[in-house]
Amino acid sequence: MSALLNKRLARSLWRTKLRLLAVVLMVSVGVFAGITFGGYSHNLDGMYETLQGDDEEGANLADLWIDNRSASWTSEEVATFCGALGSSWPSTGAALDSCEGRSIVQGTMFHTNESGTHIINSLWHGIPEDANADKVWMPDEHSEGRVASSADEIVIDAHVVEALDLSLGDAVVIGAGTTSAEFTIVGIGYHPLHVFMAPEGSLFPPEAGQYVVGYLSDSGMARLTNTSLGSSNTLLLDVEGTPSFDLPDTEGYEGDEIDAVKALVSDALDVAELDGRVRDRGQNEPVEIMRQDLEGAKRTSIPFTVMIAAIASITIVLSLQRLVQSQAKEIAVLRTLGVNRTSLMTGYLIAPLVIGAIGCGLGALMGPWGVNGMLDFYEGIVGLPITEREVPLELYTAVMLPTMLVVFLSGAFPAWKSSRLDPLEVLSGQNQMRVGSSLLRRLTSWMPTTLGLSIRSSVRKPIRLMMTFLAVGISLMLFGSVQMMSAGLQDTIVGGLEEQQSWDAQVYIGEGGEASIIEWANERGATYEPLIEMPLGAVDDADGLERVFTLVGFDSYENGMRNVNVIEGERPQPSNGPSEVMMDEGSMVFLGWSVGEQHTVLLNGAEHDITVVGTTRGELVRTMYFLRADLGEALGVDATSMYLALPEGVTVDASLAEISMGVIERQTLIDGMNSLIEQQTQIFQAMMYLGLMFTIAVMFNTMIMNVAERDFELATLRVLGASTRSLGFMLLFESLLIGIIGGLVGVAFAYGGAVGLAASFSSWQFFVAIVVVPSVAYQLMAGVIVIAVAMTPIGIWRLRRMDLVEKVKDLSQ
Amino acid sequence: MSDMSDPLLQMKNLQRHYETPAGVVKALDGVSFEIHEGERVILLGPSGSGKTTLLNCLSALDSPTGGSYRFLGEEVPRNQSEKMTSFRRDNIGYVFQFFNLLQDLTVLENILLIQELAGKKDPARAKELLGLVGLDAEVDRFPGEISGGQQQRVAIARSIAKRPTLLLGDELTGNLDTETSNKVMEALVSACKQENITSVFVTHDEGLVRYATRVIRIDSGKIVSDEHLANDQEA
Repeated sequence: MSALLNKRLARSLWRTKLRLLAVVLMVSVGVFAGITFGGYSHNLDGMYETLQGDDEEGANLADLWIDNRSASWTSEEVATFCGALGSSWPSTGAALDSCEGRSIVQGTMFHTNESGTHIINSLWHGIPEDANADKVWMPDEHSEGRVASSADEIVIDAHVVEALDLSLGDAVVIGAGTTSAEFTIVGIGYHPLHVFMAPEGSLFPPEAGQYVVGYLSDSGMARLTNTSLGSSNTLLLDVEGTPSFDLPDTEGYEGDEIDAVKALVSDALDVAELDGRVRDRGQNEPVEIMRQDLEGAKRTSIPFTVMIAAIASITIVLSLQRLVQSQAKEIAVLRTLGVNRTSLMTGYLIAPLVIGAIGCGLGALMGPWGVNGMLDFYEGIVGLPITEREVPLELYTAVMLPTMLVVFLSGAFPAWKSSRLDPLEVLSGQNQMRVGSSLLRRLTSWMPTTLGLSIRSSVRKPIRLMMTFLAVGISLMLFGSVQMMSAGLQDTIVGGLEEQQSWDAQVYIGEGGEASIIEWANERGATYEPLIEMPLGAVDDADGLERVFTLVGFDSYENGMRNVNVIEGERPQPSNGPSEVMMDEGSMVFLGWSVGEQHTVLLNGAEHDITVVGTTRGELVRTMYFLRADLGEALGVDATSMYLALPEGVTVDASLAEISMGVIERQTLIDGMNSLIEQQTQIFQAMMYLGLMFTIAVMFNTMIMNVAERDFELATLRVLGASTRSLGFMLLFESLLIGIIGGLVGVAFAYGGAVGLAASFSSWQFFVAIVVVPSVAYQLMAGVIVIAVAMTPIGIWRLRRMDLVEKVKDLSQ
Repeated sequence: MSDMSDPLLQMKNLQRHYETPAGVVKALDGVSFEIHEGERVILLGPSGSGKTTLLNCLSALDSPTGGSYRFLGEEVPRNQSEKMTSFRRDNIGYVFQFFNLLQDLTVLENILLIQELAGKKDPARAKELLGLVGLDAEVDRFPGEISGGQQQRVAIARSIAKRPTLLLGDELTGNLDTETSNKVMEALVSACKQENITSVFVTHDEGLVRYATRVIRIDSGKIVSDEHLANDQEA
């Protein structure tokens, strides 16, 4: 008996093949997305483990960095410091594996090709051949050659070799400040600090080939910079294992282990009489950003899967419930004939399981393809090789089991409803009787009756309508939140760079290097503006955690080449008391500061009082803005770079590169940002389109059900002489109404999603402010309304093909 | 108003045949009759006799496969959905067995809706009609809040709201007890007389014959008797 009942249900479901297919596809897409994101983060995790590997042969990535970019330490100073640290190191606990000095300098590459010589902003590392920490990563089959050992050898970062058409054995001319030299490429590899090829102080990598990183030997660095061997501006510490450090994106504090090490380091710095900024992995932007990228990928997989499964589940609930409703008489007859409740329920419980199993199977089959696609995409964007690829069995289980559970639960309510139908009530037609809402009557009584009926019919099943809106909202959360966040980012960051800044090139200079740049500019009719920009600020937040930030000093915030977007307060003015500063919005949020407050901060390690007079927007990295005179006095530096506004026909040339520590062109920066935002958006674009598809499917399902459910009243009106046109207008109004409400709900969900996404991405290192770009909200609204209205012809088509003779028979039974 | 000598509607040799795998089913097989203005006709016949098919053809819900059907001297459209709808809108009122009132609209709004769809909304007349069927006190109540007999009376008021020339009903008291049936039929007769509406009803209930001026009996798709009764048309 039960098998026949199930067969009956299967045939009924088969009659709605399109809806069945849509639900199966939704489930499969949910599983596919879960496996894709999960597999992606799993493989990325493995790659980072290898890249940042720490074994008996040394560590690719250090545990602590101590740097002072305004001065260099001699090899003797480094040795004294490391000696003092080693002698004070406790014999218990993790051992100090290494303490090494490094020179890391900004510079330029003079790259010559068929179109001439190009000046490329660069960063050069000096790494001894026998270094324990901070090594070049050269994975088998994904790198070439070996590390640099002699004074004329260089390893070029693999990110740029294709764009610059470089290969082993090529000679390259590079510079650092006023010196330059030729090196031979002996290796092509990667470095854990340069996963994302962004220049220091920026989170956006320029386009491929516009920023070069190279790894020289220590002797090569001495030759390039014309300094003595072992001269360093950075100290690297590697502790046995990886001591826990604070994760800036969590509320708790995990950094107790590294704090003990930091205390020892501070003491050793004092003993050696050295000034420097001490950073752990959580405070090192490139490392932290990639960790958060990985965390983001891990965190994303479950919500995306759950959201998609929820949409599928809502569709299943609505569809099965509609089926139960349409089969009410059949069920009542079966109950009258003695079929028990369990037998009836079984089918409705099995149906979603079968749908879920098919969907999960399809999703699981497509999963590895998605994982490989995402990893290929990652390799394409980030440029790092994924050395091993696998989709673990546990991932399939972790994604499919919750999906099956959600899908199964979605069948439970309709199944229960089917078993609770009262045969007498159904067969006497009493279940069709209901009393309309007096409130709705009062609210719509002033309208034409047709419109009033449309509204009342639309909200006749409030739970179903709410579930539809929920599903539309979730779909649009997928579709709109990324779009909203990207548009907001583009508007604030790129828009600010495009519209509020007038410089063409930023030229980095060494101490006292302004004069030659000014001379270059005067000779060519270019205007210039000196500025200070150094990542040497630090402050303890409310929890006592040290937060580092970039210090920026301009002569003017009103007439300068970089106009900062001040969203609250005033621009800094000269002051006899504490220096007036502006702080970026992200810092203000994280530190809990307000305009008008006074605070004490560390500028290159020294305490300094400031008054916050304004809040700015448009920076991804945490930034404090000073007047240059105030900042220069505190740091003992006059300028670290110059902005140049170039007249028409004047371009950055080799002579400028030779007198600078590096040059960045604004257009390169804008192109890089646009390119990155576009690439990042592409990652989610598949999700966005899926969201759109789901919106269409959910709206389609609801509209079809609405029309199907109203067969009774539409047929009555047709028999009584209502034209298809007038009924079409009723359906159109109903669609419009659902579209407008759905659109508003969708925009709200998309905004909520964007805020959630931004919150999950935002940290001290990377703050994303959500700015609602009205055009995106309008697009979302319009999209839902168009989808809803586009369903009207289907309703009209259904009306036209309605067999009134059959309907009259139904109406008379 | 047409002359009494001119029929309101005229069917000549009307056929409605269905092609089925088992062969041709002749639901109506050469039906001919005329109905004049003011008549109250009852169609009687056993199940499957063709009376509902005849009603469907009369209302232009269904298209005859043969013969002629003229209404006020003009051929009634067939096989053209919108023209058939238009014919119904202009000429026909219809009362269903299960009332089929729209549950989300009040009693009054159910009538206003039909007027609105016909392009002649007239709240005063809608209320007047409800008074005519004895429901002036129920105008703002929902169908679910009144009895079956009252609902059927609303359905009658709805069906005559747009002043149809011909009112049709299919087993309109089939769902009501005898006492309620009588009340509904009395309301119907009264409304038809007052509005000068011709009516044709299908029923199994011989007891309703006393409300008719004419009874047509039908069996196997053919008219087997056509009897004019002494019930006063004007009474």
